[in-house]
Amino acid sequence: MRFNPIIEKELKIKMRSWKAPALITVYLVFLGLIIFLNFLGTRLLSPYDYGQFGPSTALNSYNILAVFQLLLVVFITPAMTGSAVSGERERQTLDLLLCTNLSTHSVIIGKIFVSIAYIMLLITASLPILGTVFFYGGIRITDILLLFAFYIVTALALGSIGIFYSTLFKKSSVAMVMSYLTVLFLLFGTVIVYGIWVRIFMRYSTTPVTLAQTMAFMFPNPLYGFGSLTEGMSYNIPFFGDIFRFGFSMYGGSQYAASAPVILGITLKPWMANIGFDIFVSILLILISAYRIKPVKGLWRKKRVKSGELKVESEKTV
Amino acid sequence: MLMVENLVKKYGKFKAVDGLSFEIEQGHIYGFVGPNGAGKTTTMKIIAGLLRPTSGRVVVSGTDLSRDPREVKKKIGYMPDFFGVYDDLRVDEYMNFYAGVYGIPRQEREKITNPLLELVDLTDKKEAYVDSLSRGMKQRLCLARSMIHNPDVLILDEPASGLDPRARIEMKEILKELKDMGKTILISSHILPELAEVCTSIGIIEQGKMVVSGTVEEILRKASRKKTLRVKVLGDMEPAVKYLQEQPSLTGVAAGSDYIDADFDGDGAVLAGILKGMVAGGIPVVSFAELEGSLESIFMHITGGGEGNAV
Repeated sequence: MRFNPIIEKELKIKMRSWKAPALITVYLVFLGLIIFLNFLGTRLLSPYDYGQFGPSTALNSYNILAVFQLLLVVFITPAMTGSAVSGERERQTLDLLLCTNLSTHSVIIGKIFVSIAYIMLLITASLPILGTVFFYGGIRITDILLLFAFYIVTALALGSIGIFYSTLFKKSSVAMVMSYLTVLFLLFGTVIVYGIWVRIFMRYSTTPVTLAQTMAFMFPNPLYGFGSLTEGMSYNIPFFGDIFRFGFSMYGGSQYAASAPVILGITLKPWMANIGFDIFVSILLILISAYRIKPVKGLWRKKRVKSGELKVESEKTV
Repeated sequence: MLMVENLVKKYGKFKAVDGLSFEIEQGHIYGFVGPNGAGKTTTMKIIAGLLRPTSGRVVVSGTDLSRDPREVKKKIGYMPDFFGVYDDLRVDEYMNFYAGVYGIPRQEREKITNPLLELVDLTDKKEAYVDSLSRGMKQRLCLARSMIHNPDVLILDEPASGLDPRARIEMKEILKELKDMGKTILISSHILPELAEVCTSIGIIEQGKMVVSGTVEEILRKASRKKTLRVKVLGDMEPAVKYLQEQPSLTGVAAGSDYIDADFDGDGAVLAGILKGMVAGGIPVVSFAELEGSLESIFMHITGGGEGNAV
């Protein structure tokens, strides 16, 4: 199989400078510090108090890291991809790529892959730190794998949004701002719209808000998906698990589980809807982006003047 | 080898390219000359598959661009007028990257890129970072990049722009070498003398239209048909100007700072008669000579002298 040359080149450029190992080091030190402070906070390390340790301390650390890494994915990915294509245009290197036989899909996929790979490298490098919780138990390996899959799919969707704007706007700065505005809408705009809907339309409703109704508003929200994903695991991240359930708690939340939509015999959970949305958006935006940078769209043979209609330009007499 | 037929590119009502037609034989260098904004870059971008024409046809080595753009792209090497380079990439890595883009297997890349770097005289800069190269070197590197897939046709948009005289001479030498290799080259410039030496044919384009096209010899022959007479006289030029204006074989008599120029149509006998008349009329003639017809004078004539500084 032919390796995408864009991935090869970008990874080489990114990884050989001192910046990449320095960034990874700083990131890991930072995560380690968070865990350390959390352990300190629970007085686990206190020489005067041996009885405070419980598995919940380790789980709590895990939760903090999981949330922190999600925020990393959510807020860094648009910055990594927002300038991917517009940057090539600004550097005047895009035409050099497009006049070759490299497909525009390869260009877009290569750019997204490189952006996501860098973030995934940071997250993978943090695995040993996440692994500290295995000393205490409470986390299954499948939980971690599922969490990683969620990160990848979320990064793919947000990366695709960044790339899409990067093909839409000529200036990287505009593409970046639009990417962040879209991410902010997904994070908070959906909550606001949902909140307004609950306040206005469900105010006098005699039936409780169902999970299906909530999902209809919140499924694009990565934090919602994340909260739902972690809810089903052997640990729970209270903040994100609860924050989007305010609709249920206000209007008969106890019934929400029973009202989850069932598709093909599978109870559709919010994180599944979120992942489905992410995958759909990724594929759609990758296709649109690849089409947008295509220099000559479609076939132009239809417009071609038939040879019989050709008129020869007469030379001007010198 | 390269045939462009009735090419039209419209942007709204504006016609950037207006029914352009020309043909280049294999191993020939075709100079595409015209003032800035004449439509040279647009035409080249269409041929390189980067722009869709409104109508017209481009055929490269028998393959119609509209029918099989992928096949045409394999046969064309394109060097744009403005191009960028990737930061933190070495010259050999830059070449390897584009070799990869063209699908050249990894193990064959060095065998292809080394001779190309040698051709453009960058072998000793192989391990240098691209952004540390001079402008001339970057131009040469971009030329080497455009040949990485061994195309039959090279489309070079202003390859010598912004280069110092030495770098221009080096670029010309490379072009001559490419011609010897049998490459078909379409090269654009708004500076005519730059092309006259290396090209076999020249096309002058203005406002999207081809106004003159032919071999350099043909165009020079056309130029020599319209001759310019330059006369210098001692003292007052007024009687000389008046006398010259009265001659039926002379047109466009114009006085310069210390000379008088006039276009004339005729042979040596006509000239001798005019000179005889001037001397007989008591005009103190210092110099009486015919100026050589040149590509520059044609270009100026055609383009109305608008790009005087460029020629």
